[in-house]
Amino acid sequence: MSLQTPLYNLNDFPDVYEPSEDTHLFIDALEKDMKHIINSKPTLACEIGCGSGVLIAALAKILKSTCCYFCTDINPKACIATTRTAKMNKVPLECTRMDLTTNLKCKFDIILFNPPYVLTEELEIFGCGLNRAFAGGLRGRSVTDRLLNNLNDILSDNGVCYLLLLKENNIGEIGEKMGEKGFKIKLVIQRKIPGEHLFVYKFSKA
Amino acid sequence: MKLLTHNMLTSKCVKGVNVGYPLTINASDVRVADVDFNPDFISRLIPKIDWPVLYNAAESLGHVEDLPKETPVNYENNEEFLKKAHRALLEVEVVHGELVCPESGRKFPINNGIPNMLLNEDEV
Repeated sequence: MSLQTPLYNLNDFPDVYEPSEDTHLFIDALEKDMKHIINSKPTLACEIGCGSGVLIAALAKILKSTCCYFCTDINPKACIATTRTAKMNKVPLECTRMDLTTNLKCKFDIILFNPPYVLTEELEIFGCGLNRAFAGGLRGRSVTDRLLNNLNDILSDNGVCYLLLLKENNIGEIGEKMGEKGFKIKLVIQRKIPGEHLFVYKFSKA
Repeated sequence: MKLLTHNMLTSKCVKGVNVGYPLTINASDVRVADVDFNPDFISRLIPKIDWPVLYNAAESLGHVEDLPKETPVNYENNEEFLKKAHRALLEVEVVHGELVCPESGRKFPINNGIPNMLLNEDEV
């Protein structure tokens, strides 16, 4: 089975992150793990920081009407772009503007997160615009760490969180820290592109 | 915003709010969309739903129809019930309106089906 990149159109959305190499790697990770995803019969899925919405739309194309698809973004334009992507691909995405999954009380069976991973000054993390799609602060981990610190509370017992990381995010340290919290961490896919070595890992409760 | 989403949303993160659930819906535009019915999925979803909250939300929008007040026993094999649950959870959508925190009264607008739950820094 091959997984096509969902349709999208960001012509009216200059402030929304355009799907790039990292997005394509993430879709390839979902494709590689498709069998496992289908067999685990997830009921509640969520993409955090959905941007254009193509990742959660790709997941919805795999699982169709067997799952529901929540997505969140702090950028209001991203929320609108995601609802457009949902229409273009005829998939039901439920988008809400919020920080991470702060206002959702359920535990998810699948979480997708392509975080702002670029190493920047902490001061670059402000507002709700395009800078927030990539500015990750020192070590590129400011937002990722906020999610990981909370992962135990938002992931179901059999849930899986797919997370994109950059080599400079110090993946070894993340693995150690999450291992101590009882998480199992597995590499799904990696790719070197000019200037970046990207990885998609999956985290599950061991 | 589907009523499924409403069933999951809280305003607990607002400073001074303890539960923040369920949010009151003030709707100015409600639509019913056609969504593919998958009985197995609805059966798996129901244990994760706060049923009285779903019932009250559907009632407040005037879309309760013949939705039962409680989930019947052995609902997994009750296709008629699963269809009603499907409709309430996935087909009734609030396009415009607002959600209101039951404790603080903070209002969260819904525009084009998208609730805006983002708080200002001084509210967290």
